[in-house]
Amino acid sequence: MIQYAAIILFVFGLYGLLTQRNIIKMIISLNIMEIGLFIFIISIGFVYDGVAPIISSVSETGLLFVDPLPQALVLTAIVIGVGTTALALAFAKSIHNKYQTFSLDEMEEQL
Amino acid sequence: MKNLIGLLVSLLLGVLIILTLASSPSFPEFGSVDINDRVAGEYLDNDNVEEVGSGNIVTAIVVGYRGFDTLGEVTVLFISALGIALIFSDKKQKRLDLKFKPNFMLKTGSRIVFGIILITSLYIIFHGHLTPGGGFPGGVMIASAILLLYLADDKFRSNIKGFKVLEGVAGSLFVIIGLLGLVIGTYFLENFIPVGSLGELLSAGIIPIIYMLIGLKVGSEISGIVDNFLTEGESA
Amino acid sequence: MSAILLVAIPLLAAFISILAKKFAPYLLIVVGLFNFVILFLLPDGFVIIGGFEQPLGINLLLDTYSRIALLLINGLIVIITFLNLGKYDKYASIILLAMASLNGLVLTNDLFNLFVFLEISGIAAYLITTSNKRPLKTFHYLIIGAVGSSLFLFGVVILYSMFGTLNMVDLIQKIQAVDNYDQLILPFILMFIGLGVETKLLPFNSWVKGVLGKSNTFSGPMIGGVYAAAFGFVLGRYITNVFVFEGNLLLVVTVLLCLGIIIGEAMAYSSSKAREILLFSSVAQASIVAILFVNGIILWAVYYIVAAALSKTVLFLVINKATKDKGSDELNDLQGLFVDNKVVGLAYTLITLSVMGLPLLVGFVVKINFLTELAIADQIWMIIVILVASVVEGIYFVRMLIKLWYKGDNEISVKYNLSFKIVFVVIALAFLVFGSYKAPLTSLDNSIDTVMEVVDNG
Repeated sequence: MIQYAAIILFVFGLYGLLTQRNIIKMIISLNIMEIGLFIFIISIGFVYDGVAPIISSVSETGLLFVDPLPQALVLTAIVIGVGTTALALAFAKSIHNKYQTFSLDEMEEQL
Repeated sequence: MKNLIGLLVSLLLGVLIILTLASSPSFPEFGSVDINDRVAGEYLDNDNVEEVGSGNIVTAIVVGYRGFDTLGEVTVLFISALGIALIFSDKKQKRLDLKFKPNFMLKTGSRIVFGIILITSLYIIFHGHLTPGGGFPGGVMIASAILLLYLADDKFRSNIKGFKVLEGVAGSLFVIIGLLGLVIGTYFLENFIPVGSLGELLSAGIIPIIYMLIGLKVGSEISGIVDNFLTEGESA
Repeated sequence: MSAILLVAIPLLAAFISILAKKFAPYLLIVVGLFNFVILFLLPDGFVIIGGFEQPLGINLLLDTYSRIALLLINGLIVIITFLNLGKYDKYASIILLAMASLNGLVLTNDLFNLFVFLEISGIAAYLITTSNKRPLKTFHYLIIGAVGSSLFLFGVVILYSMFGTLNMVDLIQKIQAVDNYDQLILPFILMFIGLGVETKLLPFNSWVKGVLGKSNTFSGPMIGGVYAAAFGFVLGRYITNVFVFEGNLLLVVTVLLCLGIIIGEAMAYSSSKAREILLFSSVAQASIVAILFVNGIILWAVYYIVAAALSKTVLFLVINKATKDKGSDELNDLQGLFVDNKVVGLAYTLITLSVMGLPLLVGFVVKINFLTELAIADQIWMIIVILVASVVEGIYFVRMLIKLWYKGDNEISVKYNLSFKIVFVVIALAFLVFGSYKAPLTSLDNSIDTVMEVVDNG
């Protein structure tokens, strides 16, 4: 069920990127697409009746753990997404300084 | 018209993905994954856990088994912060003029909250190998504390030069620890400090040290980005 | 002395360089030369990181294929930086990070590590293109690059959930063990799209015209030469070893790549601006490289990438310097460029003739050999497409050369420094020499890519 939701989020983000004409909305669509992807990645590591993969001296043995590797992948991917979004917003501010608008249609009129 | 084509392409992609994954024999059902089929089975094996020394297996993967990926991730943030400083590189900068003017209660109250947030973030960074968390959430919390100060006081500017120095030094130390592993042991990023016992604060070799460096680096980088966005050039 | 130094030393230099901004370009040249030199001293084989054996940890693979790629990338970066010293000094830290990430891209043996280096080199490319002062085109490039990387990550994750490992050698062994091909089509397509965006394959290359069409002596050779070469090598390694194209998928991919060649050459023919002609020719060359890898002609594809990267670097340097001095890159405005710059013109002409594939130059040797291999594999349609493309290429390059040599009534005065001229002459001479002296080229064969060998020997 949650994997379907993740793929639907991914498709929403892609639809937004293909159709929006405002720079800030394009950045938001990119973020929605990435969030859908991250939820999908975490969902492939789930095990029914599994617990968080933390082993301490007070935990019992023989426990069923969930898969820790997709969580590590998503940790890295989220940080990379933050870096890309920050750079995209900096470009948006630079575009606004040059054209005084965020809308692609108005920019094409100015050229 | 363009919206219709976009809608069709996206829907087609979504349907294709769902159908392929549902009918694929090797793709496991949601929740019924056998960990021992995957590499993760080896990570959770008790002997390997004792060898790496970290109780939090995700931390063991992020800093231990896949430490090279973490180095790359820290580099992504570094190059983003560098690029934003490059795009906005200007003459002397002053704070952006906003319409909202904060009042005295906000300015004083935020300084108290700043201290609390800072202590929490340091706790999360230090205990990265025992509880969930680690360097990345802790570093972002440091940056959010600084953002709070920026928002609550419209004349506040943090010490940007100090942050840049901290960023460069923390990054260099990370790579130097890796190179020390190459020189002292035989592999890059190999653990050359005694591991200690599972569950103690001072254990897990180089993992707490690297997480500390990562936390400081992430905090100073994102604070630098916040400063770049909230300032503008002197000549209006 | 291990291959990890090729990635770690530029990273360390980049972190230090923001503390000492004035010395950054010189640090860059020193590190680049250091990398170039130690490439001759490193042994072949796997380099394990962190002390955890495969498939638990990450490892790098250095073999002849990666060695050729690394020599080309590091050498070109040193040359381009040296020629641009003084004007683009503030980009030195970014070039150090681009060098580290491109080296890591070619060396790595792990799929997720490839994604991380793909993102680092992508962000470095976006920042290099900000030197064009066209923020809207750079933003377009950023969005397309981010979408491509996300699709690549999606494909990698699906492969992980099916086979449980992220190590390339381990993954190929497990794929061969399961023998069901239909379920693999989706992840392969997603990963191919992700790599295809940066490699300028059709239809993901709408960013190329905006970024390279307005480039300067710094971003043009970097994106059109160095990045094209690095991503060509990465795509080649993945097409040869990981992706398996069979049946309908092979047909679709082949048709798409042939369309890429034809459309690229057609758009170059119909353009009148010098930079656009060069960039559309790069698009067509990228598709030819991909088709050669799909058919398993690894050696001549590698030589084609090397020749294309060197020639595009020189061509972009010449045209972009002339455009900067003259102010426009319309061919009519650049008429007679070589009348006062005979040495540069001679080097440019030799290199263009090699790209077209005329005899006595290395381009001819490479083209004849890969056309022969395609004929042995019975791919008549591809030979026809490539020959037609070569004819069109010949027409527009000769047209360009004629315009650049004969002055008419155009006033133009462009000066090239001595360092530019030395680089152009050395590369042109190399093309001339290797056109006749073929022995070192034919002494290697398709076994320069050793991944399949490692997979078979377990």
